[in-house]
Formats: sequence, structure tokens, C-alpha cells
Amino acid sequence: MTYDVIVVGAGPAGSSAALMAARAGLSVVLLERGPYPGSKNVYGGVVYGRVLDDVLPGWWEEVPVQRWVTRRSTMVLTGTQALTVDFRSGAWGQAPYNGCTTLRSDFDGWLAGKAVEAGAQLVTSTVATGLIREAGRVVGVRTDRPDGDLRATVVIAADGVNSLLAKELGLLPKTDPKHLTLGVKEVLSLPKDVIDERFGVRGEEGVDVEILGCTRGIAGGGFVYTNRDTLSVGVVVSVDGLAKSEVRPEQLVADLKAHPAIAPWVQGAEVKEYSAHLIPEGGYDHLPQLHAPGFLLTGDAAGLCLAAGIWLEGVNFAIGSGLAAGRAAAAHVLGGAELSSYRKDLESSFVLQDHKRLRKAPALVLSDRVQQRYPQLIADLVEGLFTVTNPTAKPGAISLLRGAAKRNGVKLRHLAADGLAGGRTFR
Amino acid sequence: MGGLVVALLRCTDLRAEVDPLSGAITREPRTAALSASDAAALEHALRIGSAWGARVLAISLGGPEVEGPLREALALGAEVLRVATHQSYLEELVADEQALARALVTALAGELPDLVLCADRSADRGTGALPAFVAHELGVAQAPGLVSLELASLDGGETELLAERRLDYGRRERMRVPLPAVCSVEGAGVRLRRASLPASLAASGATIPVVDAALVPSAVRVVQARPARPRPRHLPAPTGTSRERLLALTGALLSHEPPVVVGPVDAPEAADALLEFLVHHGYLSRAPSGWAVT
Ligand SMILES: Cc1cc2nc3c(=O)[nH]c(=O)nc-3n(C[C@H](O)[C@H](O)[C@H](O)COP(=O)(O)OP(=O)(O)OC[C@H]3O[C@@H](n4cnc5c(N)ncnc54)[C@H](O)[C@@H]3O)c2cc1C
Repeated sequence: MTYDVIVVGAGPAGSSAALMAARAGLSVVLLERGPYPGSKNVYGGVVYGRVLDDVLPGWWEEVPVQRWVTRRSTMVLTGTQALTVDFRSGAWGQAPYNGCTTLRSDFDGWLAGKAVEAGAQLVTSTVATGLIREAGRVVGVRTDRPDGDLRATVVIAADGVNSLLAKELGLLPKTDPKHLTLGVKEVLSLPKDVIDERFGVRGEEGVDVEILGCTRGIAGGGFVYTNRDTLSVGVVVSVDGLAKSEVRPEQLVADLKAHPAIAPWVQGAEVKEYSAHLIPEGGYDHLPQLHAPGFLLTGDAAGLCLAAGIWLEGVNFAIGSGLAAGRAAAAHVLGGAELSSYRKDLESSFVLQDHKRLRKAPALVLSDRVQQRYPQLIADLVEGLFTVTNPTAKPGAISLLRGAAKRNGVKLRHLAADGLAGGRTFR
Repeated sequence: MGGLVVALLRCTDLRAEVDPLSGAITREPRTAALSASDAAALEHALRIGSAWGARVLAISLGGPEVEGPLREALALGAEVLRVATHQSYLEELVADEQALARALVTALAGELPDLVLCADRSADRGTGALPAFVAHELGVAQAPGLVSLELASLDGGETELLAERRLDYGRRERMRVPLPAVCSVEGAGVRLRRASLPASLAASGATIPVVDAALVPSAVRVVQARPARPRPRHLPAPTGTSRERLLALTGALLSHEPPVVVGPVDAPEAADALLEFLVHHGYLSRAPSGWAVT
């Protein structure tokens, strides 16, 4: 039997694509290698669900939420110092909310359930091992099950970062350590009331902390997210930088947990889970070709994760691109539209608009100065501002900045140039 | 030969979380799966069923979470049946294997299977008594704890069922199993086959037949549930007088070295002191090439 659409991977991108295609009335098979959707998936912890407003109205009433993020902190750490910019919003704790912490096994299962309700057939514990191609067109997939070939008009690869299907078609390079980061994470168990007290939240309120300067100078950053009765604590670092440093990733998580600003949060917690996963961070300038005859590439498989310093948003981008892939497949099967309409659809949506606007962000944020010099420079500056030096009079801010820049080997013109570049990147 | 082979399957969360302090168990319905022994029971049922040309019926008692593994059995060509019950009654039944056996046998609606296969013990509770109770309810023979179960050909095209099970001290017992029988198997020797993709697709949308569990009154009433306590180890009876035993325990009259206070010292000196201590007590030897554990 030939299906209209085969979607490989029941992550957020795959389930969204399957949902959209099934809603259009197509016959859809959603293949997942894990025993259930989300069983194999790793991420930090926050999903921004507004992308679902039109597709699943009132999604927030049923999404399997751990906590609604009402407090967002950005931290700069050095060996012994910490500077935090902390923001809280009551609005983020009410419908339609902003972001929520949720566990992937819950969230992915919920979203895949929506695709199944719409008519998609989910088959788990099944690995797509390759593509079936005829006359230059993808016409199906091979799987590891007996009698496992399956044919379809469109194959949507939503198999996540390092997509083997995209590599088979030559859409992705064989290896690409420069544009990949490695995320490692521990889930730490603590009673809910202890988390509430330590993070200053109540009920379903949660906290998202993004951290710079906690990775021993390896390009990257760290995070702490509050779940109901667990914390997600981890780091994301450049694969290239990590290999060169010869530091083991779990040492970086151990460092982070031992930092004087973080240790009180995690004290007494028990490690429940340790996981690691790659993240595509190439950004707009390194996106692969997103379609081939009979084939669409979506979510992390297409490198559509937005990693731009203070933002690490992959799930909403995976959902946004998955929905567009489902729409493009439906338009192709039902009306003969070209699959290239997928890219156009993405260009007109937040998915590629944000990527395009922030195209310079990955290089800037992962640059040596931002990673290795500025955290210490900023911390020194702030320490200088708040250290009372009596009986000596207070130093001026400019002289403090000069001193901090000099001590950290930063020239003021570099500072100005990076400030300008930052302004342009994030304008 | 025809007939009916039944696989009684327990689907449970194989990675349930146990709170180390309270012993509270958190089960995830979506991770309900067959244990290795349950999977072996199903595989034996499929093999023997196909050799006999018999119907294979996979039965599991529980909520909708057992439908995943039942769908897998369906994709492998078995008929399936979910025996539905509400959670509190399920807990009662699981505590009382006789009542559980009665509920499962009642679900067969009077049909007498030629062979019933199940796991030697369930992954989560596991006294291993269920197969015996099922055999009792059906009034048939039982062969518990099998590591292998094979069909041997006899003259005239007939077959007989040969089973093997472990005995103590590494011995094995080979048995000829008279039919009908209940056989419980260890998760050994066979691996559950994988369903083909077309069959998995067909099973993914199929409706699983459900019957309500017969409300069999349970003879066991759960008064209190506590964390499992490991059985005490068997210790040899003490020898000697109580005075001698106390002396041996405390080492009171033996010569011993008093504790040595080292330090305060810095880390390298402390490490050296520790190494000295280990060498002195014979745990380490100082080899020319470095340290070696003795
Ligand atoms: C440490 C870390 C922290 C992160 N933090 C956040 C965050 O806080 N917020 C956020 O929005 N994003 C975050 N991300 C990014 C986010 O996880 C991804 O962008 C998102 O999961 C991409 O979704 P996807 O559906 O494209 O891919 P995935 O979620 O990777 O899903 C791919 C699916 O395909 C299946 N699959 C793969 N190969 C096959 C195959 N051959 N056959 C069948 N199935 C297959 C997999 O099992 C999986 O279910 C983080 C990522 C990491 C690693």
C-alpha cells in the first residue's frame, strides 16, 4: 500500500507535520524509533507554545505542563562571581502564557496523540533505516521491521539533528562539528516545596535561568529550569571546543552545580537522569536545502533550532516548521503544488524570519571574546561599582570599565565594535 | 491438531520509580511492556500455536495501558483480549493470585485451552504462584519455571511437549508435559519475534476486544502496604561463649594500634599518609613501577 505521507520521527516537528497532513485528509504514517514518542528525546526544558494557538486552540488547558515560566533570569558567572538580571511577569502565569517547563516524554506523547486523533497512524519501535528512491525521487523509506519497506508520495524527515536521511540524500554534510553544540543535562530530584522556596515561586510558577561563563571558556552556556519536583541543570557547548579542551562534559555540569551561586539551589538533590544530545546551531547561513523531489526536511533535521545566546528555542521552531511541512505535503498531494512552497511558507513565518534576523547571532555569541573575556569583564566592572573603597573615594564608571577591560585583555575599540555588532544582530 | 494456546501476559512498567525513602512506586502507564519472561511466554505460544495450527490468544488484565503490548501481540498474529478492571480491584487481584487466576480463567468464557503459557513470575510482584492457581482453576497439569519448551515429533505425525527446568545446584530436569497444561517460562532461550511493518500498521489502528473482569471476591485484604524489605540473610549460629564473642567483636583484649592523628597537613602529605597506611596494612605494595593493589 502507498501512503500519501510518511513522517519519520515523532518529535515536535514530526508530530506537527503528521497532524497537519492528517487534518488535510491525507493518509499519514508517523514512524518513531523509540518505544513511545519522547522516550528518546532530550532537551533543556522550556516549550514556548504560542505557535499552537491557531492549530490547537486552548492548548494550554491540556498541555502536560510542569510549571509555567513566570521568572526568567540571565546570569553571568565567573569562578566566584555571579551577576543576574532577573525578570518576573505575572502575565506569563496566565493564559495564554509564554513558556512552560514540560518533560519531553509527556509533551511529545501529547502532541503525537493529537496527530493520531487527526488520523495519522503512529508506529513505534521502528527505525527508518534508509530512503527508497526511484528516478531521482524519494518514494518511500526502508525500516528495520520485517517486510519493512513503505512507500509514499512525500517523505518528511523529522528525525532530528544529524539526520541520517538528509545525509543519505546529500543535503547535510557527513560531519559538521563547527555547527553543532552538545547539550548535557542532569535532572535533579527535590521536593516541590523546596524548589518553590529556593526559587521564590509558588503553585505552578517556574523559573528559567540562562547562564553565560560557566563552561571553562569553551564556547557555550548553561541553564537551570524548574520542573514540578525536579530541576534540569545542564550546559550546551561547542562540539569543536569541547573536543579541543579535552574536558569531559559531565565535568562542566559538576562545575556548574558546585558554583557558589548555583550550589544552594541544588543542595541535597538526587540525580535522577543524565542525558546528552546534539543541537544544530549553524543558523540561517548554514541551513541545508529543505526539500528534494518527494522529500521535505523539517525541525532539527533541517537545522531549524534557534540558538542565539539568550534564546535557545528549538521545540517551537520544530513545531512551526513541522506544521509548514505538513501543509506543503498536503498542497502537493491534493493540488499538485511544488514542494518548494515549503521554503516560501517558512520564509513568511517566524521560523525563517527570526533565523534570518538573527543570522549573525551564533557567530557573535560563540565568539572568543563573548565567551572568554566578557563574563569576567562584566563581573569585575559590577564588583568595582558596588565595592565600597572608603577611605578612598568612589572610582568613576569609565575608569572602572577601562581597568576591567585592561585586566581582561579587551581593547575598548573591540568592546565598541562588539557592542555595535550586538546592536545590529539583535536590533 | 488445531485447538487453543493462551498466553497470559502481565504488562507493567518495567522501569517504575521507587522512592528510596518512602518505597512509594510511581508507574508510567505509557511504558507498560512485557517482561523478558512474558515475551518468552508469547513467543512460545506463537511457535507452538503455529506448529499445531492452533489459535493463539494473548490475554492481559489491566487498563488501557496494556493495549500497547497487546497490539504488538496482535501484529504477531495472535488474537488478543484485554480483561478490564478498575484500578483498586486490580490492586486487590494482584495481591491475591488465586482471585487473579479465577478472573483470568473466567475471561476464557468456558473454553478449555490446550496449553496456557505465562511468565514464571511477574516483574513487579512475583510470588510465582499464579500459574499454579490457573492450573488449579482449569483442572489441568502444570509445569512451572521452564527454561525451554520444545515440540518433539512422535511416530504417526503426533507431537509431544518436552520441557526443561532448572533445579538447585545447577541441575536440570527434563519433563514430558501432558496436555492440557499450564507452563510458566523464564525469559530464556527464545526471543520474541518482531512484527512485520504491514502487520504493525494494521494493528496500530485495530480495536482491542475488552471484557470486564469477573468480580471474584479476594481472600486477601490489603491492610497496609510498606516498602519491600529484603529477606534476612541466613547466618550461621554463633559459636563460643557470649564473653568470647563480645571480646572478638570489640577486640578489647587484643593488641591493636591506637589511632594516629595525622595533620593538619596539605593534600599531597595527606595522600602520602594514606598510601603509607595502606602499605602498612598490606592493602598496597610499593612496586618499583608504581602502586599495586595486593
Ligand atoms: C540540552 C538541550 C537543551 C535544549 N533546550 C531547549 C529548550 O529549553 N527549549 C526548546 O524549545 N528547545 C530546546 N532544545 C532544542 C530542542 O530539543 C530541539 O530543537 C527539538 O527537540 C527539535 O525537535 P525535532 O522534532 O526536530 O527533533 P527531535 O526532538 O530530536 O525528534 C526527532 C525524533 O525522531 C526520532 N527518530 C530519529 N531518527 C529516526 C529514525 N531513523 N527512524 C524513526 N525515528 C527516528 C527520534 O527518536 C525522535 O523522536 C534543547 C536541545 C538540547 C539538546
